Amino acid sequence: MQQSSGSITVRLFAALREQAGWDQRSWPLTSGADALSVWQALGFGDAIPDGTRIAINQEFESPRQQLQQGDELAFLPPISGG
Amino acid sequence: MASSIPIDVALCSNAFEPLAELQQWPHHQSNAATGIFIGRMRSQGSSAEELEAMQLEHYPGMTERQLQHLASDAAASHGVRAVLIRHRIGRVTPNQALVLVAVSADRRGPAQRCCQALLEAIKHDAPFWKQEISRSGERRWIEGNTPL
Repeated sequence: MQQSSGSITVRLFAALREQAGWDQRSWPLTSGADALSVWQALGFGDAIPDGTRIAINQEFESPRQQLQQGDELAFLPPISGG
Repeated sequence: MASSIPIDVALCSNAFEPLAELQQWPHHQSNAATGIFIGRMRSQGSSAEELEAMQLEHYPGMTERQLQHLASDAAASHGVRAVLIRHRIGRVTPNQALVLVAVSADRRGPAQRCCQALLEAIKHDAPFWKQEISRSGERRWIEGNTPL
């Protein structure tokens, strides 16, 4: 098991939020963690579905972007604005 | 490339009147060309059922910044003079305005092209999510956008 090195905040929106039953939680940050590894650790599945995007500190990022202590990680289901 | 032109962005939690917003926006009177798009909520859902309402969720903070960023990029790419965006959030009912995009420029080409490009950017890259609420009370999240 990897060592914890602080925590991040995870946020969910729209259908993802309703499926999970929560919108925001603190999550322990392990060394080398990225959005994909957090997605898997949360029990959401092996892969992030097509169309679901990642934001770190409210900027779009790659699922493989390494997370830092205090980051706000958001999983954004397919966007439908305008 | 970012732009330093006037960009006026607002999220509206209550119904807004697009023509009144435009009337208060000085740039369409001071530039030769203005491209305008007004999008309203459809009365039928994605499965052709009659809708009671729609709930529009956003990501507070990120959505506003992303709209500014998209407008600034589009304005710089098309060389326009001013951009206005209004976008609803919260509960919307059929035929209410969902989005207003207005772009002022010194020629019709840049104004129209920028308006269309910016609208598409908003639809794909600004964090909003629509949930349809049918007259029977069924709720359904919409993933993606209607065809162009």
